[in-house]
Amino acid sequence: MPPLLELDAVDVFHGDLQAVFGVSLRVEAGQALALIGANGAGKTTLLRAIAGLTPARRGTLRFDGYPLAGLRAERIAALGVAMVPEGRLLFPSLSVEENLQMGQLTRRAGAWTLARVYELFPVLREMRQRPATRLSGGQQQMVAIGRALMCNPRLLLCDELSLGLAPLVVEEIYKAFARIRAEGLAIVLVEQDVARACAVSDTMLCLLKGRVTLAGPSHHVPRERIAAAYFGE
Amino acid sequence: MDWITTAVNGALLGGLYGLFGLGLALVFGVMRVVNLAHGEFIVLGAYLGVFLVAAMPQVPPWLMIVPVALAGYAIGWGLQAGVVNHAVRTRDPLTPLMLTFGLSVVLRNGMVQLFGADSRAIDGGALTSTGFDLLGMRIGVYPLLVLLLAAALFAGLQWLLRRSEFGRVVRATADAPEVARLMGVAPERVFNRVMGLALAFAMLAGFLLAQRTLFTPFSGVERMLVAFEVVIIGGLGSFWGALAGGVVLGMAQLLGQKFDSNAGPLYAHLVFVATLMFLPKGLAGERR
Repeated sequence: MPPLLELDAVDVFHGDLQAVFGVSLRVEAGQALALIGANGAGKTTLLRAIAGLTPARRGTLRFDGYPLAGLRAERIAALGVAMVPEGRLLFPSLSVEENLQMGQLTRRAGAWTLARVYELFPVLREMRQRPATRLSGGQQQMVAIGRALMCNPRLLLCDELSLGLAPLVVEEIYKAFARIRAEGLAIVLVEQDVARACAVSDTMLCLLKGRVTLAGPSHHVPRERIAAAYFGE
Repeated sequence: MDWITTAVNGALLGGLYGLFGLGLALVFGVMRVVNLAHGEFIVLGAYLGVFLVAAMPQVPPWLMIVPVALAGYAIGWGLQAGVVNHAVRTRDPLTPLMLTFGLSVVLRNGMVQLFGADSRAIDGGALTSTGFDLLGMRIGVYPLLVLLLAAALFAGLQWLLRRSEFGRVVRATADAPEVARLMGVAPERVFNRVMGLALAFAMLAGFLLAQRTLFTPFSGVERMLVAFEVVIIGGLGSFWGALAGGVVLGMAQLLGQKFDSNAGPLYAHLVFVATLMFLPKGLAGERR
């Protein structure tokens, strides 16, 4: 059986500027991969390439054995790849509930429904009629996660879930994260907090200036090796 | 009493003007494209009406609103899918502006070539010449029906955008097309349907106006000016504001015409200038 997600020697460019150099990785079904690295290491760019928003210029990307080259983001979404984008990017004209319902447009069947999302984040049920961008940062992040879950993805891309949130709120988000993982979907997670990233994932991959400097199981990685891979010493 | 009658008739004309603005506001609101060929499509709706009414004399002219609106939808869809989407994709707001400007020139001259430069009107049959007396005023049945139709279309569009799934997708795409793509939405397809709706409204309104006013292939500029003024007076992005803007403009025009029979539209434009000066956010903008 092929891995759920497989990247081989992928190069991604922003215009003329190369941001990701020859990255290869694989994520098995139900597994979580943590992407770590400093700002500008190319983590977000790599996620955008997987989602099809910034198509890779070279290399192959396969999802469940199916090549993603040349597919538009909306087609990739329909295959079962959902993303919680950096900065949440909710639709300001839509209410909380309408934002969540946007996730249903892929028409993928699965465990996640409006009721299940409200069960995961009860506070959203109370706020359902409010404009989504009027919520607190943490609640907005819950909407963004819920919206992605409503796609019933097989692979969830999470970009900086804790960005700009208070520590207590981050705790709450990651508590939900554990319950989401229990549903058996695969996850690629970008996270600034290296210790947390390693704790919630099965495998990790460190990027430095667009190149892989360390990859392997998340547990029992010596801190010095991570530091060296992270800062490039 | 005469003046009140004129004001009421102006308000009735305003429903039509509101429809002119509706399509323009919709396209601008969703894809940030100013369609400079909007007026030419309004006139195209009138010519299509002339053709249909002449081709099928046994069918009552008002029934032709259906094929005209359907043709408008098809033309809008095709136009967006064929060319405007490519212009939108450049992300440069000037590209669609240049494109639609060029299109307006081509359409105008194409219509001169096809239909000639003579003034025309559509004979709406008995419906356009009947009226009734209300409180001492003479009200035309046709203008009243047009206003009711316009109000129904406004309400329908409002419902579509606020309550339906299609409306949700349209609003989300207007907010952030790239994020919508992550949800499996193809923004170009949404744009196709929005342009279809916009031109359906435009051509329908053009057909309806042609039953009470003369038009030539060059009338588009004047029509588009009305459409712009309606949108600005109503307040950008507000649909009911556009209907109100149309009513204000229609009243100003007819009252102006009564006051000074040579220069009705001048007074409508003056009202527009006054709005810009005193209510720069438009009628609906101030309340928010």
